[in-house]
Amino acid sequence: MKKALCLLLAWVCLGIQISRAQGGTEEMTPVTHTYALKNVTIIQKPGQVIQKGIVVVKNGLIHAVGPNVAIPANAKVIEGDSMFVYAGFIDGLSQTGIPRPEPAQAGSGRGGQQQRPQGVERGEPSYETAGIMPQQTVREALKPGDRSIDDMRKLGFTAAQVVPNGRMLPGNGSLIMLGSGKTADDYIVKENTSLVATLTTSPGVYPATQIGVISRFEELYRQAQQLQAHTKAYAANPAGMVRPTSDRVLEAFFPVLDGKQPVYFLAPDVKSTARALALQKELGFQMIIAGVRQGWPLADQMKALNKPTFLSLDLPKAKKEDAKPAAAAGGARGGNRPGAEAAPKAEENAKPAEEAKPKDPEMEALEARRAAEMALYEGQAAAMTTKSIPFAFSAMNAKPAEIRENLRRMIKAGLTEDQALAALTTTPANIFGVSAMMGSVEKGKMANLVVTDQPYFNEKSNVRYVFVDGMMYEYEVKAAPKGNPNGSAKVGGRWSYNIAVPGQEAAGVFNFKDEGGNISGTWTSTTMPGENNMAAVTLKGNNLTFSSSIDAGGQSMTLEFDLVFEGNNFSGKVNVGSFGTFDVEGSRLGDPKN
Amino acid sequence: MKPFLSILFLLVLAWAGNAQPATGSLLIKNGTVLTVTKGTFENTDVLVVDGKIKQIGKNIRTPQGVTEIDATGKFVMPGILDAHSHIALDVVNEATRPVTSDVWVGDALDPLDISIYRALAGGVTTIHAMHGSANAIGGECETIKLRYGTYDPEDLRMQGAPRTIKFALGENPMRSHGEGNGIVPRTRMGVEQVIRRAFSEAQEYMAAKDKYNAVKATDPTALPPTFNRRMETLAEILKGNIIIHCHSYRADEILMLMNVCRDYGVKRLCFQHTNEGFKVAPELAAFGAGASVFADWWAYKFEVYYSTAYNAAIMTKNGVVTSINSDSEELIRHLYHEAAKTQRYGGLTDDEALALITINSAKQLGIDQRVGSLEVGKDGDVAIFNAHPLSVYAIPMMTIVDGIVRFDRAKDADDQRMQVDPEKAETAFFLAQEHKNADHCLEDAFDFANELFGFERE
Repeated sequence: MKKALCLLLAWVCLGIQISRAQGGTEEMTPVTHTYALKNVTIIQKPGQVIQKGIVVVKNGLIHAVGPNVAIPANAKVIEGDSMFVYAGFIDGLSQTGIPRPEPAQAGSGRGGQQQRPQGVERGEPSYETAGIMPQQTVREALKPGDRSIDDMRKLGFTAAQVVPNGRMLPGNGSLIMLGSGKTADDYIVKENTSLVATLTTSPGVYPATQIGVISRFEELYRQAQQLQAHTKAYAANPAGMVRPTSDRVLEAFFPVLDGKQPVYFLAPDVKSTARALALQKELGFQMIIAGVRQGWPLADQMKALNKPTFLSLDLPKAKKEDAKPAAAAGGARGGNRPGAEAAPKAEENAKPAEEAKPKDPEMEALEARRAAEMALYEGQAAAMTTKSIPFAFSAMNAKPAEIRENLRRMIKAGLTEDQALAALTTTPANIFGVSAMMGSVEKGKMANLVVTDQPYFNEKSNVRYVFVDGMMYEYEVKAAPKGNPNGSAKVGGRWSYNIAVPGQEAAGVFNFKDEGGNISGTWTSTTMPGENNMAAVTLKGNNLTFSSSIDAGGQSMTLEFDLVFEGNNFSGKVNVGSFGTFDVEGSRLGDPKN
Repeated sequence: MKPFLSILFLLVLAWAGNAQPATGSLLIKNGTVLTVTKGTFENTDVLVVDGKIKQIGKNIRTPQGVTEIDATGKFVMPGILDAHSHIALDVVNEATRPVTSDVWVGDALDPLDISIYRALAGGVTTIHAMHGSANAIGGECETIKLRYGTYDPEDLRMQGAPRTIKFALGENPMRSHGEGNGIVPRTRMGVEQVIRRAFSEAQEYMAAKDKYNAVKATDPTALPPTFNRRMETLAEILKGNIIIHCHSYRADEILMLMNVCRDYGVKRLCFQHTNEGFKVAPELAAFGAGASVFADWWAYKFEVYYSTAYNAAIMTKNGVVTSINSDSEELIRHLYHEAAKTQRYGGLTDDEALALITINSAKQLGIDQRVGSLEVGKDGDVAIFNAHPLSVYAIPMMTIVDGIVRFDRAKDADDQRMQVDPEKAETAFFLAQEHKNADHCLEDAFDFANELFGFERE
């Protein structure tokens, strides 16, 4: 018994080591810092392409670009046949590199109740308790080597404007490189690029509601104006004047008051967009609306701001069944609903019903409305283009694993690939005033590059190399393991598994029962309580497949595993519907005979 | 499928992009016109041009391009006003301190609330969207028109309507702060003190501001008082620029607040709920305070047991400007029934009963020059019923705001929501219960209030 436990522990430790090794290969110093990408298709910037060209990277810069440039003798040559090179992407606003706060701190509602200040303090909390921390800087909040940096870099992002954690005023934004470094300072390119504001409330204390947040913002803004006027007057002539008291929170507003720094207002839905617009109208600061998920109803008002915007890379989850036509039953044509007259008509999608099942007309109508609503989300980026509102993207609240798929959905909904590329490169570079440094593949710019094996926006394309500031990161493309139908595997017993979901821990134990070739099983996860059943467990040779349905927040989600067993290890893939397909690997726990 | 959706998209954009709330023109022909203030006229037309009532009379010629609505056999009344509502709001209570005059529910209007459409389907065109009653001095409220169909909260506001603010007496502020959090007020005396103290501080704040403004030109060392939104709003109340709408039940505290207001020179006052208003009706009339009540709803908490369905009638007969309100997304759909109860309990005339949900509510909100009756020059806000609206058989057929048909029973679809969640199959039915919790940020507000104080939003 004891022995078994030791073994188990040993395996668990080994498991951890394996997972670490995957993320940390960049720690070794490369032999050379000079690289040449040969025979590559270079998308210098949207609409400007060099076929079969060469990119030379040297001293962290793009040393040369062209169809025919000299390759330095000390360069590591990457044969880029059929590969594509883009400028590294720039994420407009996120918390990449900023570790998530402890759950207790972030918890809202019931969980955090005990820590709520009581008495008068609830209505007059400290700045910190109230979530008013505009003086926070990325330099203090960034964690070098945070896993989120790698997760975004893998997608081709090489720079990002990030902001510390917090609520209504989380702090100052800074532009960072998504490379590697020992201290936060190593990452920072441009500091204090923005004052970030949100409508996030402080559970249990003032401001506990959005009306409180909006009121408090206005009050702080006006107090900052007062303090600034006071400070200036005192500096000019202090004689006879009460000395102004320094206040870090109010002073953080000064660059905004001077028009030197925009307020980045996080607006994840149409109502927060409207509220940000109203507040801006009231106070008149320079504002960029960021993380916009639902901006189209207010596009005219957004345009009137005369500022670019940052659209969210987070889209509502696509249902796989959405592929079927959004047939509209009569009920969907809402008579009094404005715009309803243009709702899709049934004949457009008149495909014969696959099954003869009687369908609930109300559900049919609802499904049609949902599909139409989804199309609006997916079409937002294209619509902003139509409205000539310049935009880049924000990865705030977007899951890295979904970002590429979401970009493809936007493109499918009418955004051109060049427009998408501009929103990832040239536009944000322009907004942050760093066009001379990054945003295109041009001589003299920072060597921030994405290299893919197919055009980036193709579904099957893989990111093979990312250069950040001249530092190369190589990404292996794992071929799906091939099962051997003539092979054999003993799968009965307990196996640890690890699913490579970017930004998330997904691990646990498979428990297979082999009863004379009849295989069944259950599995557990470290992040979910309870045991899940496996269905359709099939072993062909050494290739095991099974599926399992789990309940994910009220929605049923089906996982399709496809695993190849070799001795005491296995590897393979899991398909999680619209979330995508992820690599899985694992190894046997304990003695196979048990 | 694609061209279609993009057409839909463009339409939505075009339609949502209007800077000013849209107005319309139409001619309502041959109905029984209940003006409420100027009598009732049979076989009469109402002409609305560019959102304003231009003419009321017989056989009005239809101007070119103006839509006709046949109201033969139907009853045409002014759009109903609800002087006490919490629909179309994402936030109701900022319950973290006893005085929150700094907050304003107008900052969290919810144009997507399905209750807007449902209220229209009850003939309602204007509501007083109020802050809740957790605090002795709550937040500012917002008078909105039910311009269903917009995504832009700005379109809902009734531009030019006076500012109003919520006060609250009795159990709610006592429980929220005294019992719930161990601070003043824990008693009715405490509630009075919170209000008096706030007014006194506002006087000091105003004095400091006035002093600064007087000397700032000549004294370069002069400094203004630190900007304080709570005080800014209270100062406007003292100056007479904001109408107080006070949650109240007991006669003693109704008298108390009138005394406090007298002491501070505040004249614009309307009591909400006013459950024991019938006991102090002459005093209310003498002060000039309004009273907004439920028709016959009481006993939902201890301070609301001494009640009568004659409340509205008694106050009306004593000359108090009285209205009947809903304070509920359900009651708001049949306020005409609520008003009709005063004919059973108190024998009010048709016009007196209808005034309770139209012109009197308008007076309490300071917008009676613009809405609340069918008169030339007023806003084209009209409700059309198939029978007399005080009849138990009355069904609202059409509701018009600023000359635009916002509800038409003939075109009422199963699903009138402004938007659906593309991720979840939510039916329209459940939305009403769910939507207040949809935004994670707001959950706290309601959890907080419900969890700690266990009260509803009235």
